[in-house]
Amino acid sequence: MVDLGLLFKGFATVLSGYNLLALVLGSFMGIIVGAIPGLTATMGIALLVPFTFGMSPITGIVMLLGIYTGGIYGGGIASILIKTPGTPAAVATTFDGYPMAQKGMAGKAIGIATVASGIGGTFTALCLTFFAPILANFALRFSAPEYFALAVFGLSVVVSLAGRSPLKGLISGALGLLIAMVGLDPMGGFPRFTFGMIELTGGFSFVPMLIGLFALSEGFRQVETIVTAPRVTAVLKDIVPKLRELGTCSITFIRSCVIGLIVGITPAIGAETSSLISYAEAKRTSKHPELFGTGILEGVAAPQTAENASTGGDMLPMLTLGIPGDAATAVLMGALTIHNLQPGPLLFRDHAELVHQIFGGMILANFMFVILGLTFARFFARVINIDRKYLVPLIFIACMVGSYAINNVMYDLVTCVVFGFIGYLMMRYDYPVSPMVLAQILGAMMESNFRRSLVMSQGDPSILVTRPIALTILILAVFTTVTAIRRQRRMAGSQTARTNST
Amino acid sequence: MAPVSMKKADILVFLILVPICTYVFYESARWPKAALIGAPTLIPRGVSACLLLAGVLLLVQALRGKANELETPLVGANRRRVLLIGLLTGAYAAIVAHVGFLISTFIYLLLFGLVVGERRLPRLLLFSCLVPIAIYLVFSTLFNVPLPEGWLQ
Repeated sequence: MVDLGLLFKGFATVLSGYNLLALVLGSFMGIIVGAIPGLTATMGIALLVPFTFGMSPITGIVMLLGIYTGGIYGGGIASILIKTPGTPAAVATTFDGYPMAQKGMAGKAIGIATVASGIGGTFTALCLTFFAPILANFALRFSAPEYFALAVFGLSVVVSLAGRSPLKGLISGALGLLIAMVGLDPMGGFPRFTFGMIELTGGFSFVPMLIGLFALSEGFRQVETIVTAPRVTAVLKDIVPKLRELGTCSITFIRSCVIGLIVGITPAIGAETSSLISYAEAKRTSKHPELFGTGILEGVAAPQTAENASTGGDMLPMLTLGIPGDAATAVLMGALTIHNLQPGPLLFRDHAELVHQIFGGMILANFMFVILGLTFARFFARVINIDRKYLVPLIFIACMVGSYAINNVMYDLVTCVVFGFIGYLMMRYDYPVSPMVLAQILGAMMESNFRRSLVMSQGDPSILVTRPIALTILILAVFTTVTAIRRQRRMAGSQTARTNST
Repeated sequence: MAPVSMKKADILVFLILVPICTYVFYESARWPKAALIGAPTLIPRGVSACLLLAGVLLLVQALRGKANELETPLVGANRRRVLLIGLLTGAYAAIVAHVGFLISTFIYLLLFGLVVGERRLPRLLLFSCLVPIAIYLVFSTLFNVPLPEGWLQ
């Protein structure tokens, strides 16, 4: 169970000195990154991980949590003002947000979006706080076969993250596994796939690789069509929602919170899916479904609440089991590891104080973006007008300098550039990047625990399927894979039907 | 030059995967055998075999004309811009340690701006001057990270 004493101490720590400053800065930057179309929360976290390296673990983590939650919320601002989602998750916000802006209610739409995101995010952060210790406590019973099964389960997510082609997702994931094997053998200690290069004995530098794959690659994509988004001309007024307006959305808030949490916990689907489901449910259960799409408060509140309500669900498997739920939490996990913190049940046992500070940080991060979002709404609206001809080169330089700054070696900068270009080509040709990163994280976990299991059983592989927990997790992995493949086939089928009909 | 279609890209990926997977088998055959530490070659070889199989399936799909269409083909000025920025970024990574952060970043930002079509030269020059100085100061004073000084050393 959650230790309330430690939780309140965690709040106090987060609200003190540099940590509070980091939280404010993180939330502020997160909203900016989210508000600018083309930049995502994942990219923001990847880009700023190196800057947290010199900070204490909690300061750095709190800053990244601010970017994560603020980035997810910020996507809605551009959706409302220019009908272009700031992040992929904010697509559903355009449906009613933009019509509201056209009716001269842009301020009201941003206000309700801000509060809705805050409610969803706080709810999910509280759920994370109360459920994570229980799950982590259960996971303490796990041994090598269970960890192997967990890694396999995590890898089954690879198929779910595969985008338009599961085959390409598999290739991306398998390449990630091979990349994870570069370096010293985890048990024998001999070098593997290093080609005699001393720099590779520790494997590829993880954070520069992340920055390259998630941030620099996106920079290259921005270079393709370097156009400035439509200018924001709307005047924002009545930003702070009235109690009566919040009251009309109360049922929507509750329903969307639950949808967001459930979707978030489900591996590989997150804010993007939860916001769409939540919007559809709000419309289906409404007494006036015909008003959806014309610019109503519930149409903005539903997707925004669910978007942020999925963040805690995504964090839950990452923190307790060491399995990231999506790309953003994979990058967050990378950030934790560079602070020498290995997510998983042992984190809860060995660093209980820090874990409660993370919970406190997650809850406060949601309050912070609400305060900043309502106070600086006009500023964030103007940020969308930023000139891409200056923003994109800044992203490139930040990626390269950030990569270099981690260890002060040029090799890291080169790693970032090489993986940036690889990531760009992968995105261009439909090879999803996330499975590669996820597989790299889970590859080492899978391999070492597989071999430990074999040592435990003196070479008998049946140990992997004869222990009840391991077997259950493996069955879940098969179920996840099959469901994901079926879902993608259905999606591909409906896409083909749409193409044929047009 | 014709744009690289999805079909060509998938065939190319297969051609890249074959030597990678072959090398995994080749190198893993030379690893020291240690009886008590599990089966060290099993996972690398298993992953390579799966990768090769996926590559073959990809090749078959591509040859049968079942490759997905590219969402937006990269052609003309857009492709030229991406290639130029790629080359510029590669060159920057190669010279920054020798030339130094301030000078190379100034040149990089200036050329980057010109490649992406910025024609307001005074503004671009100011940006290219101020950004490297600001980053240099932030990293050297705030983060205590010395950036390469190169010729200025």
